[in-house]
Amino acid sequence: MNGNTYCILVLFCLLLIGGVSLAPAQALDISSGGSPTITGALSGSVSGSSSVLNNLSVTVDFGEVSPLNTNNIVKVVVPIAVRSNQPYRVRASLTTSTNANPQAVQTTDIGFGVNNFRAMGSNSRVCTRSSHIFYSPFNNDPSSGVTINASGRAQYPSDLSDIVGSTTILSGPRLSNGGASRATNDGYIFDAILVITPQFYAPGTTTAVITFTISAGPAVPC
Amino acid sequence: MKGSEGTFPILVGIFALLVALASTALSQSTTGTVSMSATVSKFVELNSGGAITLTGNSGGGITTNGTVNNPLAAVVNLGELGPANTNSFVTASVPLKLRSNAAYVLSLSATVSSSGSTANEITAADVGFGLGSVVRSGVGVNTTGTDTNATAGDPTLVANGSVNGTTGRYNFTAVRSNLSAFSASTTALSGSFIMNAVPRSNTNGLTVPAIFAVKPQFYETGTTTVVATFTVTAP
Repeated sequence: MNGNTYCILVLFCLLLIGGVSLAPAQALDISSGGSPTITGALSGSVSGSSSVLNNLSVTVDFGEVSPLNTNNIVKVVVPIAVRSNQPYRVRASLTTSTNANPQAVQTTDIGFGVNNFRAMGSNSRVCTRSSHIFYSPFNNDPSSGVTINASGRAQYPSDLSDIVGSTTILSGPRLSNGGASRATNDGYIFDAILVITPQFYAPGTTTAVITFTISAGPAVPC
Repeated sequence: MKGSEGTFPILVGIFALLVALASTALSQSTTGTVSMSATVSKFVELNSGGAITLTGNSGGGITTNGTVNNPLAAVVNLGELGPANTNSFVTASVPLKLRSNAAYVLSLSATVSSSGSTANEITAADVGFGLGSVVRSGVGVNTTGTDTNATAGDPTLVANGSVNGTTGRYNFTAVRSNLSAFSASTTALSGSFIMNAVPRSNTNGLTVPAIFAVKPQFYETGTTTVVATFTVTAP
């Protein structure tokens, strides 16, 4: 094998690798939509990439949610970017630690909603024949709909208990122009909103993980 | 170009590697995660349960009353405690309100100081004390919770005191029925968690009257100051 043949083989392999990683990227993508924010927390925090070019990996610490936190509500807003060259849907699934004590923080105690769908930039595909749809009951800001149930406990229009299995929260037509490689201007961003009201919960810690997945959606025209 | 046969493959390789790396950098994902955690610490709260009731007094009055759901900082003047007061007892009933998300302990520490100089001055043993009926009621309250009253209840109850046959002095005789039992911080009440998972804006809770009583007697003349400090903890 001479040098040029070897070179061509190496080139082919590397392009193949690049192509493999690029191929699915052209179809469907979910990433950070910018810096997440937290308000009303006592010793709480949220961390995640501010760049829409990075993967979505956000860590939320609601902090103290007993009455030691005198704020009315702890609210976290997580921007999520989505891109596609085809109709899409976004699903959410939940993994959580179960606490058998009904007075401990339950999935019903963490409000969850989505809203504020907006274009990222000039390569966001504008479709006129179909809409991007937030699915009920998630299409709300749960901090704006806090009510008290008959037991005196805070409740929300939608919460983590509404995520059953893999639950669709958003779908719509194509999101991106061109090849839809991950760029700063080629898709849409929406906000995932998580809230919890400080209450007389039973002492302890609670953990939960929401996994957002984008996949091919209903075949709607652009 | 001399030597180009060796240089060309290297350049192509670097270029291809850059293409591959660039593609990887822009590689995309179909999933993303939001991980959450929250902490609930033990919380206890003691507030006034409402207005104080003063009975059997001659003179005196409530200087600083209790205001429901506000910090407890009451001041009461029991008035005349000598025989000029012909009532059986001067009694101040101070409502307390407790709230917690965990098992609680209510402790009392009291000091009694009189201006007298003899054994006939008012002492801590002359100030009866007890906690009345414990009430857990209202939306959001753990009404099935249980409480243990370590006092003997209303100190004016017949069962809780009597005239000492030897000295003739009235004594509060039941267990933890006078302030001498609380010269150091001592448990007066304990129980299971009080509040279910409801916001702090819910104003319900556990209420209990703290009852202080003095029987007018031929005490040494002078003035007496009693300071009772309640503390609630979640051990």
